[in-house]
Amino acid sequence: MKKVIKMMSCEQFELLGLDMDRPDAQPEEAAAAAEHAANCAGCFAMLESWRELKQDLRLLHEHTRLESAPTRVEMRLKQELRTRREARVPRSTVAIATWALAAAAALAATIGWMHWRDGISNHTDTTSLQVAAVVQNNAVPTLDALLLTADYDTGEFTQLPGSMPTASSDESVLQARVQRGALVQFGLPVAPEQAAEWVDVDFLVGEDGQPLAVRLHQDASSESVTQ
Amino acid sequence: MKILDEKEPGLLKRAVRGDEQAFLVLYRKHQAPLYRYALRMTGSPWAAEEVVQEVFLLLIREPQKFQPDRGELGAFLFGVTRNRVMKHLERRPREDSLDEINANGNVWREPQDPLTPMMIAEKSERIEQVREAVLELPAEFREAVVLCELEEMSYEEAAQACGCPVGTIRSRLHRGRALLLAKLELLRDAPRRASAGAK
Repeated sequence: MKKVIKMMSCEQFELLGLDMDRPDAQPEEAAAAAEHAANCAGCFAMLESWRELKQDLRLLHEHTRLESAPTRVEMRLKQELRTRREARVPRSTVAIATWALAAAAALAATIGWMHWRDGISNHTDTTSLQVAAVVQNNAVPTLDALLLTADYDTGEFTQLPGSMPTASSDESVLQARVQRGALVQFGLPVAPEQAAEWVDVDFLVGEDGQPLAVRLHQDASSESVTQ
Repeated sequence: MKILDEKEPGLLKRAVRGDEQAFLVLYRKHQAPLYRYALRMTGSPWAAEEVVQEVFLLLIREPQKFQPDRGELGAFLFGVTRNRVMKHLERRPREDSLDEINANGNVWREPQDPLTPMMIAEKSERIEQVREAVLELPAEFREAVVLCELEEMSYEEAAQACGCPVGTIRSRLHRGRALLLAKLELLRDAPRRASAGAK
């Protein structure tokens, strides 16, 4: 190796010689290059040119060594970091809200289904009662049976089976005089013996036209029957 | 434990969770060399700024791309910066020169120097010539010159940064130097010897 370096040619000098001033240069290589440059005018001239250029490169290095990204880059990155941090909080909130809504919907559906099921069973009961009313048209009414249908003169409406309570103000009251037996179709139980009685009824009608609740008024003719 | 004493993977985890201080420690440690590399390679403060911003945005948005078992964060960031710079150079080989206005938008001034105005002007001119000549080198030679001569990396460090053998770096540097010499000798009307590499 040492022998080869001692015999450094111009081509080798071009490849290795300009590294002789570098701190990480091999000492043998540097010595051989220096020796070659001392004996070769062309390579010496190139070495001088390179040293001049190296000085200029060092100037450029010195001139730009403190260059750094402008502060606006740091600001933008901080902003991005904050945006991502803020975006993460609402995401978890949205997830919680979604679960809460889903749970509420499931609960509402369950309650609705239970109401619907109760309505069906009531309807079945009242249908059989209606049949019984036709058969036992002349039976004497009892107070118990009357209370089953609705409250009298309490001023309170009784919720019809299958309808949901509502806070809407768009409801209206419809007054009618019907035979008690007709209340069966609204899901109210009617004692067969009272089916033929005439009663004054207030229907609370929702904005969709469906009756929601009912209130019965005992008229003079029926009063004698109930008491 | 002080935040500055914490190791980089730990700081990065905290930064990704939104810890601004942890992120700033990482950013301030790495941004300047990356910016200088990008600036010297592209010659454009705007491009260098964009590159550095993109590199750190990537770190925020896709931190999983950095795998500590594969190397240091600095090496990873340099690799990403290098890719971005190369893409930029492919897109727009040389859009604008490093001119008087620096990245902060201020007029670039010579540092205070106990030289006469004439000497200052001459020095500025030389620096500008070298800067121009470096920017006119083909990208791979320019990179070798920037890393080994301007960033003063060893051949091993430069080879590691570029992901190539030491011999490749030496060869690129040799060609880069030869081209630089030829270019500057022509500019300064003082040809000494036309290098084989510049032919």
